[in-house]
This record gives sequence, structure tokens and C-alpha cells, in this order.
Amino acid sequence: MRVLLVEDDCLLAQEIANALRHENFAVDIAVNGEDGQHLGETESYDVAVLDLGLPKVPGATVLRAWRKNGRHLPVLILTARDGWTEKVDGFKAGADDYLTKPVRVEELVMRLRALVRRSAGFAEPRIACGPLTFHAQTGVFELNGLPIRLTALEWRVLACLTLRHDVVIERSELNEKVYEGDADVDSNSLEVIVARLRRKIGHAMIETVRGRGYRLTSGTP
Amino acid sequence: MKFGHASLSRRLLVGAAVLISLALVVAAIVIGFVLHRFVQAQIDQRLDTQVVFLSSMLTAGDDGVIALTGNADGPPFDRPARGWFWEVVGPRNILRSRSLEGASINAPEFRRPAKKKGPSPADGAGPGNEALHFRIQQATIGHTPVTIVTSAPRSAVNGPLREAMTTLAISLGVLGLALVLAIVLQVRLGLRPLERLRQAVADVRSGRSKTVPAEQPLEILPLVSELNGLLEQNAANLERARRHVANLAHGLKTPLATLALALSERRRDTASDLHSLVILMERRIRHHLGRARAAALSGPMRAQTPIAPRIDDVVDALGKIYADKRIVLAQEVPRDLAVACEQQDFDEMVGNLLENAFRWARGRTQVQAHRDDGPSVAIVIEDDGPGLRPDQIPHVLRPGERLDESAPGFGFGLPITRELAELHGGELKLDASPLGGLRVTLRLPVAE
Repeated sequence: MRVLLVEDDCLLAQEIANALRHENFAVDIAVNGEDGQHLGETESYDVAVLDLGLPKVPGATVLRAWRKNGRHLPVLILTARDGWTEKVDGFKAGADDYLTKPVRVEELVMRLRALVRRSAGFAEPRIACGPLTFHAQTGVFELNGLPIRLTALEWRVLACLTLRHDVVIERSELNEKVYEGDADVDSNSLEVIVARLRRKIGHAMIETVRGRGYRLTSGTP
Repeated sequence: MKFGHASLSRRLLVGAAVLISLALVVAAIVIGFVLHRFVQAQIDQRLDTQVVFLSSMLTAGDDGVIALTGNADGPPFDRPARGWFWEVVGPRNILRSRSLEGASINAPEFRRPAKKKGPSPADGAGPGNEALHFRIQQATIGHTPVTIVTSAPRSAVNGPLREAMTTLAISLGVLGLALVLAIVLQVRLGLRPLERLRQAVADVRSGRSKTVPAEQPLEILPLVSELNGLLEQNAANLERARRHVANLAHGLKTPLATLALALSERRRDTASDLHSLVILMERRIRHHLGRARAAALSGPMRAQTPIAPRIDDVVDALGKIYADKRIVLAQEVPRDLAVACEQQDFDEMVGNLLENAFRWARGRTQVQAHRDDGPSVAIVIEDDGPGLRPDQIPHVLRPGERLDESAPGFGFGLPITRELAELHGGELKLDASPLGGLRVTLRLPVAE
């Protein structure tokens, strides 16, 4: 899961990014509204965390611009402005959730996971695909009821595949959702991650679609 | 002038009455004087004609005896003792009108002014001691000096004058009354814009309008401009104060957020105490931000907020925030209800209360609004959550430092909501809902 974090306070942005990375999110940071808007319009993110009081372009303007340009990624507003009038305005601008500073990491992570899950079309926090179960609220994967240990990169790939199981995910999209914007990506590394995942959950579950990408299936042909 | 403070119209009326009376008195005096001169001149002319008539008929012998060549006693000089007399005094004899019946005309001592030609006036008493007006002429008939005296009764002047003056006084009195009435009418009409201005200012106060309309009489326009300027400045000051407080609060919150995250990042095990402190600081900032907003509000301006659209917006927002709970909300809010309350504060109150309901509800919430018996609107928010025991209710309304977020109501802005409601002349009541959870009744004054 790849998050765009638009926050002008560098210290806070770094803290949030660290906390999110700790929870397996890939995080790109933009420190002003202009960069944030550009990244949101050009890169592929699962969810965005947007501050309202941003330099250059205010957060609400960024959000409205995204929505106007057809960017439907879920957006969580994270701001110090806690008035209900501002909240209402934020939602009217197209926000999907709203949190006020200071925020608990657990709360933020939970809300972000919920946003990603809902935007993938799952109403329930428990997503099952064959023997594999993804608890979208806690971020835990279980195979036959037993939790699996995953690295951050493995988790991102598996989460991406699970949230659209039975659908072919393009390699390029997986790469985008798994690596942070400034990461140095080896073209073979995705194969390596998928291979490790197959060892953990069973070879049959991740299907390679030639020349396109991968698909998560229930494992039974 | 003392009454200057009491009433503008009284001030204008008394001023006008005094001025009108003064003008009328002066007019009466001037007209009286002119009339007097006019009547006097008529009498004088008549007497002078008699003088000329007499002198034309006078003859004087060489011995200085004077005589008249004809009858000079035309009316009214032929009637005895009416005051219309004449007398010609020669050096040897005196001729008298028949009306004198032989008595002396009793003319005052006559001193003729050196240059003046024609008869001279004089006043005195006649033979019967009646007041007389005289015309006296000295002439020379042949070589004989004579003095011709004619007289008319004083009443011949005063009688018509008094009559004329009576009529004049009545007319002037009526005129004066008419003028005062006109002034009363004028003052009423003239002060009507002031009443309209009062109404306009009252409208501003009650929140029906933001400024005083500028369609005003020329004289009031500068006042209205000043007034509107003042209102604008007030609003700007209010806005600035709010912005400052908000900036301060928001400025503190970002480092606070960083601190909270740094704490949970680096001291995972012991973070909860310190995080509680951060939450406490945040809550205090939030509370005082709300209070500052409230304090800035106690000015004269009153807003008007239609409740249905605001509730819709808050419910939409909460529907997203609590999307996973899939709460069923029964909403029954008439579209035409409005409350006398700042929109931001209304959002804050309704947002806090509805969020509370959404947070604690198991599946159902209800918001309903109706016009109360009194001049207020009641907004009733209910949920089917765990609710509150009656002994818990006073605690959740008290602004405290409770951090216990595991019990309904705690930490969710109920104290500030109550403070805001009371500031706007409303109230907040909590009790049990038939749905099973908490029922919150927010009463706010209705905006007409």
C-alpha cells in the first residue's frame, strides 16, 4: 500500500512516515500543496494523507483539483483544524476521512487501511481468498487461520493482490504500489518478492500472467 | 437645555413654538404700528383739509379782526361735543366751531418748528377733558397772524385701530396655531427616518441583516456609514481575534502531533502515560479555542443559521467517518427551522453531539428537531449505544480533565457544547433514550 503524505511540517511528516512504514506502508512525502497536487495527479497511490494548511496551494484546493481531474483515490485529511465547519468543508471538497492533530498512529493506520479496503470495494474488514485471510483492520494475513510473517515489501505485494484477488494486476502497477517514489528498483526484485511469497502461502495461489502481471487466486484450479 | 436629552421632537417643537410666538408678536407690533400710522394719517388729512378750508375762508380787517366768509361747520364739525372742533385765533378775536358751543378748544401751548410748513400735530385734552388730537397751523391773513387749530377725538384714531388690531390678533393667533400644528406634523415626518433607522439597527442586532441599509436621508447617511463602518470593524476584529486564537491553537497542535508520534515511536512501552499528557494538552487547547470563540461572540451581533442543511452536512461527514459502522440514521428535521446562533458554533455543537451518537451507537441513531413551546428550537439526538447512568450525567457536562474515553460522552466536547449552547441562550440536557442509549436535547433560541 502506497501512501501520499502531504504535510508541510517536515518533522511531523517524518514521524508520520516512519510510523506508517513501520506498518508496512510505502510513503511518499510532499511538503507543499503544489508538489502534493502534482504527485497525486501523476503517481499511483492507494490513499493520500492531506494537511489543510499547506504552503503554495491550500489542502482543500489540492483536493478539489484532484477530484476535478478525476483522481478518486481515497483522501484522509489530517489537520490541526478541528472545527466542525472545517470538517464539513473538508468532506464537501471530497475528503473521505478526517483526523485532527495530534493523532494516534494506531488510529491513523486503522483509518488508512479502512479507506484502502473500502475503495477496493470490501465492506467487511475480513477479506478471504481461499485459505488466505486478510484482516484489513489489523493488517494481519492468515493462512488456514495461522498468521504469516511478512516483510514490508512482501506485505505490500500481497495486500495489493488480495485487495483485487482474481484480477490480473499489472507488473507496472505492482511496482508503483510497492516501492516509494525515490526507491532504487531492480527490475527483477518483484519476481524475487513473489517467489518468496509463493513459498510462504503456496505456489498455486499467485498465478503469473505472461507479459502482464500476477493474479491471486483461491489456489484450487 | 435639559430637554435636549429627553426628546428630539420636544426640542424641535419647543424651539419652533418659541420662534413662532416671537415672530408673531413682532409681526403684531409692526402691523399695529403701520395701522396706527395709517389711521392717524387719515384723520390728519381730514383735519388738514379743514385747516385749508378755514384759511381759505378767513378775512382780516385792517384792525386785525378776523372773520369767515362762509359757513365752515360742515360735518362733523357741526355736532356739539364729539371732539371734532376747530378754532381760529386772531390778534383781536377768536372764531370757534359750532361744536365747541362757545368753549375754548383748549389747545396745548403751540411752538411752531422753525422750518416746517403745513399743520403740526399735538395731543391734549379738550374742553370736556376728552382726549383730543390737534392739528395746528399758523398763517397770516393779509397782515394779520392767525393760529388755526383743528381737532379730532383721540377715539377716532384708537377705535378703528383697536378693531383692526383685534381682528389682526385673532388672525395671527390662528396662524400661529396652524404653524405649530404644521411643525408637529413636520417633526413627526422629519423624524420618521430615525424610527426606520432604529428598526434597521434592531434588525442588525437580531441578526436579520448584517448592515444598516444605505438608502437613508442625506442627513442620516453619514451616521449610517459610520455605523456600518463600526459594524464592519467589529466583525473584522472578531474575525481577527478568532483567527489569532485558532492560529495559536493550530500552531501548537502540529508540534504536539509530532511529539505524540515521537513518543509512541521511541518509547513504545511507556508511551501511554506521556501520550495521555499530549491528549490532555490537546483537549485543553481545544476547549480554550472553543471558549475564546465563545467569548468573542458576546458582542451585539446575532446570527441566524438554518439547521437542516448544517445537520445534513454533518451527517454526511459522519457517514464517511463511521462508514464501517453502517449506522442507520432516522432524520426528521423540518427545512424551515433556523436558530439564532453563529453557524460555526452550531456546527460545533451539532457535530460534537452527532459524533457522540455515531461513536457510541450500536446501529441506530436518530436526530429530530422541532419548534419548542417557548421561542426555541429543540434538537433531539438519540442513539442505541450504552448510554449513561443518571449519576454520570453531571460529570460529562463538567469541563474537566477526564481522559477516560471508554465511557460514552467523555472527552467528546459535551462541556464545550453546553457552554456554547448557554452562551447563545440555549441549554443542553441529557437523559435516557427509548432507543436504549443516550438522548441529548439541545435547545437554542429560534431565529424568526
